[in-house]
Amino acid sequence: MPGSQTPGKLNAGADMNLSMTVKKSFDAFTLDADFSVSGDRIGIFGASGSGKSTLVSMLAGLLEPDIGEIVLDGECLFSRSKRFNLRTERRRIAMVFQQHGLFPHLSVKSNLLYGFNRCPAEHRTIDFGALVSVLKLDGLLDRGITNLSGGEKQRVALGRAIMANPRLLLMDEPLSALDDTLRYQIIPYLKSVSERFGIPYLFISHSLVEMRLMTDNAVLIEKGRIVEQTSSEQLARLRMGQSPVGYINLLELSDMTERDGMCAYRWKGNELLLSAENRETISGLFELSSKDIILFKRHPEAISARNLRECRVSSVFESGRKLGVELEYGGGRLVAEIVPEAALELGIKAGVTIHAAFKASAFRRLSKFDGDTINSG
Amino acid sequence: MLLSSPDLQSIWLTIRLATIVTAILLCMGTPIAWWLARTRSWVKGPLGAVVALPLVLPPSVLGFYLLLAMGPNGPVGHLTGALGIAALPFTFWGLVLASVFYSMPFMVQPLQNAFESVGGRPLEVAATLGASPLDAFFTVALPLARRGFLTASILTFAHTVGEFGVVLMIGGNIPGVSRVASVQIYDHVEALEYGQAHRMAAVMLIFSFIVLLALYAWQPNTRKTERRG
Repeated sequence: MPGSQTPGKLNAGADMNLSMTVKKSFDAFTLDADFSVSGDRIGIFGASGSGKSTLVSMLAGLLEPDIGEIVLDGECLFSRSKRFNLRTERRRIAMVFQQHGLFPHLSVKSNLLYGFNRCPAEHRTIDFGALVSVLKLDGLLDRGITNLSGGEKQRVALGRAIMANPRLLLMDEPLSALDDTLRYQIIPYLKSVSERFGIPYLFISHSLVEMRLMTDNAVLIEKGRIVEQTSSEQLARLRMGQSPVGYINLLELSDMTERDGMCAYRWKGNELLLSAENRETISGLFELSSKDIILFKRHPEAISARNLRECRVSSVFESGRKLGVELEYGGGRLVAEIVPEAALELGIKAGVTIHAAFKASAFRRLSKFDGDTINSG
Repeated sequence: MLLSSPDLQSIWLTIRLATIVTAILLCMGTPIAWWLARTRSWVKGPLGAVVALPLVLPPSVLGFYLLLAMGPNGPVGHLTGALGIAALPFTFWGLVLASVFYSMPFMVQPLQNAFESVGGRPLEVAATLGASPLDAFFTVALPLARRGFLTASILTFAHTVGEFGVVLMIGGNIPGVSRVASVQIYDHVEALEYGQAHRMAAVMLIFSFIVLLALYAWQPNTRKTERRG
């Protein structure tokens, strides 16, 4: 088997330092981006057509900027003023595309080894067996690409990029072609593989949930310009007021037991009641919108919502014309969304105690856990 | 015997001609088709038109100009003269040169379509995995376009086998040198040897049918769908 690297978290904390000052004009669109980031889990967030893919295509060397400079880890990849453009194949920046981009004339194994075989010898350090094991591709190696499911194809595409041992992995909306179930099954693979093999990544998405699950910090791009650089969590809070679904609370629920026709889950030392349709899920990742949490100043006498909990307000933040209320509930935190008038009536400020109610049917399951968990909080 | 010795000689000559022309056009047509499939240059239109000209030109017109070009006063004639090579008209290699031009669209156009179907994404993927453009061409583009190569080769071979007008203009009717199968049939008909013409024509008919059958049998199954999950 190729490679010699041993399993376990390798090259831990392999941060990348990226600086891009680029401009590229098309007929009806101009990308004008200037930013620097460092870290190992960086996101680029923006709506469709905002210029995300153009930006990463320039970083990968697939598209040449009109003017500007790209520097990765101190090495110049492109400089118009110096008339320098490092060829794509020499940048050691691998990509996982929206459509897997696997080579249909090659087997799974040959696809996985395509980049590895083109690596300079000193970079052939990824252990093939360990990678196959992490991605659970053991039984697929001799199969053709056309016989794989969507999730399997994306895992192979990820493995192929990792085997090339790039210094940076670009993931250009790798989940958008997958349905919800597959999407949240793939995320643990995306995270664990790059972490385990010490390869920093740039994750591109128009989904704030994916952004929070996959990255620590994010760059917000709008209409071809960088408008914000902040933590992914902060980005989600800033955009809560503009989002029709509000802020999405992500909860890892476990140890389901059936009780009185409902499902009782453990969450951060608390108990949450969910509707009976979740009875086949012992543990999993669930979402709860900030819009589905109702706040009460005093304990209501009677209420139809099955989850009524006393919480402490840990912080209040503004997002557009809405207020976000961060609630501490046992060891967990939830964000509720209210209008400023409601905050006045309820006397909401950091430190006060308040009652939060949410219906058992307000939770939506994103994925079941099958040994792998998503560290969402 | 079903076919006479001159008939067999003309068939052998035809196969030799078609094989050599197909081989030359595979080498020549591949880079032309690749360039046409990938370029955004304004030259694409004019070059594509030049390549396609034999599809619409009467073979006698093409043959006439090629004859002038290869003649002692033509540019090709000057070149062969300067190199000390005999003039090309009425020789086997003159016939090869003329057939290369005449059959070029049958090689270039299927290959261009095949390369365009491959698209740019697989090559971009290969580049991000460390493959040079040449490496990506041979390890990704060529295998993905293999059906186009098969189609182009079969069409080129078959079209060269069926040539008549250009052959007569450039090669004349010299036994063992330029008398190919189609000319041999023509000769049989002119001499009222209908029996021999029938047998030769039947051989050509069966050959053409088998070629087309092979071509259609190798077409990708469009109803085949990938499993999703």
